Amino acid sequence: MSDLQPKDDVAGLYVLGLLDAPQRAAVERNLEHDAGLRARVAYWEERLLPLTKMVEPEPLPPALWARIERSLWPAARTAGAGVSDVSLAGRLWDSLAFWRTLAATGFAAAMLLAVVGLPGAQKAAEPKFMVVLVAPEDKAPGWVVQASTTQSLKLIPLGVTEIPQAKALQFWTKGKDWKGPVSLGLVQPGRPLDVQLKELPPLEHNQLFEITLEPEYGSPIGKPTGPILYIGRAVKVM
Amino acid sequence: MTRSMDEFDYEAALSACAAGERAALHRIYQLEGARLLAVALRIVRRRDIAEDVVHDAFVRVWEKAASFDATRGSGRGWIYSIVRHGALNHIRDHARETPADESLIDQAGQDGAASVPDPYEQVLLASESGLLYDCLGRLDGPKRSSILLAYLEGCTHSEIAERLATPLGTVKAWIRRGLQSLKECMA
Repeated sequence: MSDLQPKDDVAGLYVLGLLDAPQRAAVERNLEHDAGLRARVAYWEERLLPLTKMVEPEPLPPALWARIERSLWPAARTAGAGVSDVSLAGRLWDSLAFWRTLAATGFAAAMLLAVVGLPGAQKAAEPKFMVVLVAPEDKAPGWVVQASTTQSLKLIPLGVTEIPQAKALQFWTKGKDWKGPVSLGLVQPGRPLDVQLKELPPLEHNQLFEITLEPEYGSPIGKPTGPILYIGRAVKVM
Repeated sequence: MTRSMDEFDYEAALSACAAGERAALHRIYQLEGARLLAVALRIVRRRDIAEDVVHDAFVRVWEKAASFDATRGSGRGWIYSIVRHGALNHIRDHARETPADESLIDQAGQDGAASVPDPYEQVLLASESGLLYDCLGRLDGPKRSSILLAYLEGCTHSEIAERLATPLGTVKAWIRRGLQSLKECMA
């Protein structure tokens, strides 16, 4: 039905989806070896891309990502074998099940500590928020965060974290509606750290905290790249 | 420190995918998945099929990430082209069962061909700024609509002719000249 004319912009018609099946197949075959055609197609793909802004995003069904993961990495879900640290970190941030388990343990631990009190923690100011940072695998607590105001906090070690050479511990937080974690700085193993949250929104209940293993001078990209060593959520102290 | 969608480095994310970093693919999904699903849905008009298209596209992005060539275009454009062509291939291979959104079908029959309706006029007026939008704004309504119906809804020449109550040959000429004008305008 659609005979191409010499004046037709074949690349443009291809990008618009207006070629019939044989023409489309021909373009796709030619794309592999015709650099000029590739450039013309790329031109239109690029130029017309802003049109996608006219389409309102649709809510993603929760099962869709899981389905993509199953297709790509069928073994990963069951055995966890071959999962890189980075992806484990990515998944942990997003895993509801993980947070459900952790919320229970973390909350219990935080309440216990709040009652018993911490060695070395100042008694004067009543903490408003507490976070117990635990290891993702065995939920062993490694650090505690205490905040007496919503704009400052203290990170207190419960032991000495062993780290490899040329690596560093980096401390991160992420509030509920933030787009990603924000660095609170590098942490010395076994040393407390005072942090002022000057430019960040006030601490909130359930805010995420984590310590990741990063290159010596911290993550080069401003967001966690290494494995999560400790992770926890802020609990408001009564 | 945090990265918004505009500053997200898609090319870096794609090379991370090529290096086997699954978190990078997930990040792309988190940033673009909802709009990609919407783009696919607008074309295939069925949610289950749109989800299949997005699923297949992400599998493909992961598997082909190493072959992505930044000199040919942006990473984001590449990802969208995979979803759009996935959706287009689907509707070209299977007849679409659901009719187009009624709200976008105009009263062409009543108005007659003299005033060719422009289903996208309102959307466009309220829309983004930028070179493409400026240039689209300079096109005649019918040419613009033809291009938008093809790009956004995956309409064929005949479907556009039907939607705009216009002979097929006219629609083809509109598209041809519309693309030509856009190209000149964006040069």
